[in-house]
Amino acid sequence: MNSMVLKSFLGLRKSSPETSHFAVHQKHAAISFPQKLKVIAGKTSPKLQGRNLRVAIVGGGPAGGSAAETLAKGGIETFLIERKMDNCKPCGGAIPLCMVGEFDLPLDIIDRRVTKMKMISPSNVAVDIGRTLKPHEYIGMVRREVLDAYLRDRAKENGATIINGLFLKMDMPKDKNSPYVLHYSGYDGKTGGVGEKRTLEVDAVIGADGANSRVAKAIDAGDYEYAIAFQERIKIPDDKMVYYENLAEMYVGDDVSPDFYGWVFPKCDHVAVGTGTVTHKADIKKFQLATRKRAEDKINRGKIIRVEAHPIPEHPRPRRLSGRVALVGDAAGYVTKCSGEGIYFAAKSGRMCAEAIVEGSENGKRMVNEGDLRKYLEKWDKTYWPTYKVLDVLQKVFYRSNPAREAFVEMCADEYVQKMTFDSYLYKTVVPGNPLEDLKLAINTIGSLVRANAIRREMDKLNV
Amino acid sequence: MQLQAMSTTMASFSPPSRFTATPSSSSSSSSQHSKPHLLNAFLPLRPRPRPKNTPLLLFSPLKASSDNGVGTAVELPPPTEQQAVPEPPPPAAVGTNGSVGGAVAEEVKSVVSGFVDPRWVGGTWDLKQFQKNGNTDWDAVIDAEARRRKWLEDNPESSNNENPVVFDTSIIPWWAWMKRFHLPEAELLNGRAAMVGFFMAYLVDSLTGVGLVDQMNNFVCKTLLFVAVVGVLLIRKNEDVETLKKLWEETTFYDKQWQATWQEDENSSTSKKE
Repeated sequence: MNSMVLKSFLGLRKSSPETSHFAVHQKHAAISFPQKLKVIAGKTSPKLQGRNLRVAIVGGGPAGGSAAETLAKGGIETFLIERKMDNCKPCGGAIPLCMVGEFDLPLDIIDRRVTKMKMISPSNVAVDIGRTLKPHEYIGMVRREVLDAYLRDRAKENGATIINGLFLKMDMPKDKNSPYVLHYSGYDGKTGGVGEKRTLEVDAVIGADGANSRVAKAIDAGDYEYAIAFQERIKIPDDKMVYYENLAEMYVGDDVSPDFYGWVFPKCDHVAVGTGTVTHKADIKKFQLATRKRAEDKINRGKIIRVEAHPIPEHPRPRRLSGRVALVGDAAGYVTKCSGEGIYFAAKSGRMCAEAIVEGSENGKRMVNEGDLRKYLEKWDKTYWPTYKVLDVLQKVFYRSNPAREAFVEMCADEYVQKMTFDSYLYKTVVPGNPLEDLKLAINTIGSLVRANAIRREMDKLNV
Repeated sequence: MQLQAMSTTMASFSPPSRFTATPSSSSSSSSQHSKPHLLNAFLPLRPRPRPKNTPLLLFSPLKASSDNGVGTAVELPPPTEQQAVPEPPPPAAVGTNGSVGGAVAEEVKSVVSGFVDPRWVGGTWDLKQFQKNGNTDWDAVIDAEARRRKWLEDNPESSNNENPVVFDTSIIPWWAWMKRFHLPEAELLNGRAAMVGFFMAYLVDSLTGVGLVDQMNNFVCKTLLFVAVVGVLLIRKNEDVETLKKLWEETTFYDKQWQATWQEDENSSTSKKE
């Protein structure tokens, strides 16, 4: 049903023999870092005379904000360029529990705490998950404009300079120590108007400007496949809103999306109903109607107050780093499969990149070079690769077809599955779990898949 | 029988029990209606306080002539489908009538009332209704579920909190699945394996003079046997070869995408050395 058409993936390389050669040596969950790659530490870089390292961050979302804070705290002269300070991003807005702790977020940023989720299969089998959550555990729903502004303001308090402007282009440096020259049009709080063209000289750049990153284009980072997420914000009557007090819903099915899911997420005083797809972008409106139909009884008589859509990267760009420019967050393509989660990874990657710069430059005293920034990539890949891979496998197995989705929802009813899912989601670690339970889980999964596919074959016979 | 069926289905549908009155009374009044009306409705054509004050957008109109005396001229529905356009009831009757009337006009083409089956009770299959010779007829349960899923695929329904679907396929015992699905396929595959095996054994014997027992002691023959078995298991249709190749590519595709940023430098560093 869902045929994945795989373009042969060459990244930015022109010759394909390398691809097949490399592919043979790939294992599933292991990354083998090419040992031939020489990482030259920044310790040999020249000390900066009379000034600190200057770094510009393009984009002021979660990635940019947390990177700016870490850089500023590390004593580096930081410039954060953001085009729209009150940008209301089309976003699910879900953050895991660990983000609150790791980023010291104040609790009033969180509009709602989701402690229950309902998964609804193509044949409307509804399963409640969340029984295994402890009282202090929840998924936080935030408004992006509130979160982004908070992170930016905190960066400013720590010494970063926030520039309201639109990044236009970047001049590459001529050698290892020359600065990058960024061209941007500064708005200066003027509403409307074109803004004046300005330039900024910095030693390193972090591209945190999202899925349509201009910095990525400037360094020829290559393209990625992306999904279109389409969302409508619907204000529903208060009595219906009570149902969504701390519950989010996920609808799966071919009618809702051929390769993703439809959702109803509660926001501050309304719900966001949306869906997404990679392979059938032209039919997104149809999928949205189907999602609304499936949730109909619960969102009936709601008023649509906003319609929004945005691309979501499916995998990292072929090149995430070039010279002294690094990409983080959506610009790098750090959105997980299966759940489509990006906020936490954006913020974390921003922080990690900033930490690598701080360390490589010895708190801003030395120049950095590509090797220092590469350390961030290494650390990132090592820490989060298992998470990404597991979610990728889940998506490939369970979002393939309606029988697979039925099996998925059936599996979610199992308590062990719920516990593992939430533990790994909330704390962002792939927990190994109990081997005996894992075996039982594997057998049950296979059983569910077999049963669902068997029924599917019966269904096909009915058709013919 | 029809009445009984309808009232059972009404009972299994959304609560207000007053609804049960509607179809029975209407069907009795329209006794000339010969086609069984399995799919029913709750189109409230008389004023009543609706449970949550929601206009019901899912409805298939009944011959509701009984309720308010409005002679609804409806076409007889064809046997397996339900289709009729009700006259809009008197304007004062229902609060949100305007929207109902409007909705009626556009609902003409796509009027469905949801999945209805006398054996589907309370969001799951009532196993007591599947009895055959004192035992549950699991095949019928599987058939019924297949039919329900097919129906839902073609007519997606809203998921409802009052009538949650709680059916879990694991209540059907494993041997029922085996008997129905695994055994026929196993028979087929074993048959193929046996034919291939017999032919290969004969061929090898005629070419090398090694008898069957001696073949089994030979490593090459054992390998060939293994390959034959695996081949029969994995490749059942011609398309399976392509499917397997694609599956293999899929498993490693994501890894390649992540590795891209590292491979790039490897290439450039090797090219620099040249």
